[in-house]
Amino acid sequence: MNPLDPLKRTFQFLKSFSSTMDTAHRNRAVGLTECEVRELENMFVLLLMGSFTGVPAPPSFISAELLPYLEHEIKVVNRRSESASDALSELSGCFDIT
Amino acid sequence: MKTIFFTGKGGVGKSTLSATCAWQLAEKGYKTLLLSIDPAHNVADIFDTSVGHKKSKFSTNLYLQEANLDKAASVYIEQNIDILTEVYSYTKAFNFDTYFKVLRYSPGVEEYASLTILEQTLRNETDYDFIVFDTPPTGLTLRILALPNISITWVDRLRRIRKQILEKRHTIHNITGKYSEEGFRLAYDEKDDAVMQKLNEIWQRYVNVYKALKGEDNSIAVVFNPDYLSLRESQRILEGLDDLYLPLRAAFNNKYEDRLQDTADEVERELLGANGKKVHIARVPLVPAERRNTYKNDFDVTEAFR
Repeated sequence: MNPLDPLKRTFQFLKSFSSTMDTAHRNRAVGLTECEVRELENMFVLLLMGSFTGVPAPPSFISAELLPYLEHEIKVVNRRSESASDALSELSGCFDIT
Repeated sequence: MKTIFFTGKGGVGKSTLSATCAWQLAEKGYKTLLLSIDPAHNVADIFDTSVGHKKSKFSTNLYLQEANLDKAASVYIEQNIDILTEVYSYTKAFNFDTYFKVLRYSPGVEEYASLTILEQTLRNETDYDFIVFDTPPTGLTLRILALPNISITWVDRLRRIRKQILEKRHTIHNITGKYSEEGFRLAYDEKDDAVMQKLNEIWQRYVNVYKALKGEDNSIAVVFNPDYLSLRESQRILEGLDDLYLPLRAAFNNKYEDRLQDTADEVERELLGANGKKVHIARVPLVPAERRNTYKNDFDVTEAFR
């Protein structure tokens, strides 16, 4: 066994630990921003397709022209509507309250 | 290039006056296009000739056209069906793409078609000295004229939200390096975002139309008759134009007869009130029965637009 192996392994462990910590911190830092983006995307589609939800909508041709590019946002709206009845836990999740 | 819109209640004579105006301008040497955006066209009847959906030459300087609103509507629908079919191309495997064709029956398509024709005409027909528009009755005309403004307001709001979304996505990308979610590549740059690009394109399109409508080279004229019914409707047009910040340049008291002088005075006073000084007012006498519903009129309509 190479006498340097334990040292190398320790170094690799520290490296991956630091990388995981870095990712964790980075993800934690953007958690709230990601929540905000989801809310904004949700609002964007709700405004654009107000006629689905019964609120005043923009002229239908604006919605129709943008519709093909909004697959991701429409998925967000769908998911958001599933959790709409439990807004408190959604909010707690965003603010990392457990 | 100057543009003139004749508006007014149904039956007050805006089609005949717009025809007279276009004819007189052409006779004075101006290259003129008379374009009807009224779904119930009657330019052909007034000139007693066949007018197609494409421009047809009536005299040396006068061109006539009855806009094909159905075609403009279907071109728009087809474009969107094509984009939808392309994006959801897998639907072709089941022949489901044909279901998108139901978009054809969306409400508001007629106004959109009129607006498209208006936009294309303003953009492409720049070699005319004058373009005279014969418009549909009040309600529809006001909705068409309001459409660019309404669209700009909506697109502005949507662009603001989209900008915020992109800024926040950018932040997330900067911190985590993440640029996709569940296989979707999420754009964070305005130049990269198809939605923002489309919003900008729509915005530019309507700003151009709105600028043209508000500009010095555009005139909106209201045609009314010396009676109270057309007075009330003309007042609504003026209110509508005020709301849209579109300027009224001329008012034609059409089918005027001396015996109606008192009513005509009152109608003009009520209609134009404080604005009276800024607007060119003209009384167009009732033409003899044999020349009614034609473009021939001794009264000089063009005076108002010099």
